[in-house]
Amino acid sequence: MASFFQEKDPHQLNDFYNPNVLINLGPAHPAMHGTLRVMCRVNGETIEDANCEIGYLHRGIEKLGEDKTYHQWMVYTDRLNYCSALNNNIAYAMAVENLFKINVTERCMWIRVICMELSRIIDHIICVAINALDLGAMTVFWLLYHWREEAYTMIESMCGMRLTTTYARIGGMSYDLPDNFTERLWKFCEEFPKALDEVEGLLTSNRIWIDRTKGVGIISKEDALKYSITGPVLRASGVDHDLRRDRPYYVYPELDFDVVVGSNGDVYDRYLIRLEEMKQSVRILQQCNKKIPNGPLWVNDKRVMIPEKLDVYTKMEVMIHHFKIFMEGIDVPKGENFSCVEGPNGELGFYIVSRGGPKAWRMRVKSPSFMLFQAFEASVKGGKIPDAVAHLGSVNIIAGELDR
Amino acid sequence: MRINAMAEGPYVAAQAAVTKRLTDKYAQAGRTIENDVLGEPVLWALSPQDAKILVKTFMLDENTKVDFLSDLTAYDNMDGEDGEGRFIMVYQLYSTTLHTRIRIKCRLTLNQPAETITDVFLGANWLEREVFDLYGINFNGHPNMRRIMMDERFSGHPLRKEYPIKQREPFNDNVRLHMGANAREVDTHIKEGGN
Repeated sequence: MASFFQEKDPHQLNDFYNPNVLINLGPAHPAMHGTLRVMCRVNGETIEDANCEIGYLHRGIEKLGEDKTYHQWMVYTDRLNYCSALNNNIAYAMAVENLFKINVTERCMWIRVICMELSRIIDHIICVAINALDLGAMTVFWLLYHWREEAYTMIESMCGMRLTTTYARIGGMSYDLPDNFTERLWKFCEEFPKALDEVEGLLTSNRIWIDRTKGVGIISKEDALKYSITGPVLRASGVDHDLRRDRPYYVYPELDFDVVVGSNGDVYDRYLIRLEEMKQSVRILQQCNKKIPNGPLWVNDKRVMIPEKLDVYTKMEVMIHHFKIFMEGIDVPKGENFSCVEGPNGELGFYIVSRGGPKAWRMRVKSPSFMLFQAFEASVKGGKIPDAVAHLGSVNIIAGELDR
Repeated sequence: MRINAMAEGPYVAAQAAVTKRLTDKYAQAGRTIENDVLGEPVLWALSPQDAKILVKTFMLDENTKVDFLSDLTAYDNMDGEDGEGRFIMVYQLYSTTLHTRIRIKCRLTLNQPAETITDVFLGANWLEREVFDLYGINFNGHPNMRRIMMDERFSGHPLRKEYPIKQREPFNDNVRLHMGANAREVDTHIKEGGN
């Protein structure tokens, strides 16, 4: 047989048994989620060595943070993890408010928690649906994306935008919740878990899904800690760590929710964790809907408070104040902080060094995807190429956040 | 008064205990300690070597129990606000058992290399490459000291304050397929009649 092929094409069979074939996955490939590039050395179908090349979506967001005022930079946080823009907005606003040592109002805190949980649901929907889509299960994608659409419509009613929200402001939110929001959220909390049950019925005990995901892309507990992974992937590896519970912020201490922890650290566990976390988020949303108080949305602090539009148009001093805030920027006191929230993908931190004035001296974004992709490079070795696709989908790497 | 972005919880007492431990035990022999706006401790190491020793010590110390590297970054100290030295290295450490944070900082002069901590935390690998890429700080003993965000052919280090924000250096093509700096040479073209 061998001689037959060699006569036809001397390179064909040689290449097949060559342990040194290089394969390029990405940067523009449907399974590579954005602009990720993995260069693999394969032997047959086994990846023996992998090298990730990142930076295809590098926009210099940290450099821009030193050039724009604090308010201007808010829009760039939308473009970090564009699947959960609300979460980034709020995490950033929180870091700047910490520099002011401002306490936002009670109502603002509850709204922020609702926003963060809603965006967590959206992010997990994207991860689970796309992961299943990559492995050929298209029905899950349609089922879940209907609810993602509904969540986006709710977000649109909150701030007028869907994907890049820019909802938070330093010291408050740009708008209060719309009138019919409570009923809408109730309906969402009632009906979305039914879709989750349906997905669970389709996937959790599905033979094909289990074969493709169980024991694939394992990240052990020790490796997960050494690689500084956070979020659902860390919890899937068996580390009980969630910043919402361990270092609570806003009103999380008053809310009742469970931290979901896995044991095997494979793709299947990550899927189960994400599914259960969505249910926990729905639980949180229901509690928020019950408990959200009325009251002022904005903190009463002249340094950051954006004046009422009506006053801006009718009173001269207020108009000057408005212009000062938006043309010059707010004067942030000297100091620094590293403030983190539990984002959908893990610990999302903003390290801001302020030396006074309207612009930051250093704006550092600690993104969870960066750590996840680094661990991906290490743990993909030894697996098969189709497993790499399943693994990549399950860790939910967002290129905007990875490259910044 | 506490900031409500950092709500009450059991970690508050633990954080205070760690800060006290750092003040009593480690803020000596020239090292200084300060608190940031959230009351988290910032320990200034004497040198890059000292910073690495501190990282290792905090992992062994029963009172700090550091086992997690949250972040590793640097910033430019061009205006000298933070003392002598052009760059400041920043290590954000975390304990997954106590849920406390420690920040270690150290000053670096221009062209002074830092010490790698990839032998302690594997996750530091890409973070140090990023610092090298954006600030031009070298790391002694790093296994793969290459650019990560910018193209390999790029010149300059964009996060330095003197780098103009509108400077561009576009490339028309991709980086050639390769397996990293230290991967063995790979020959994809087998000689005629080989194998």
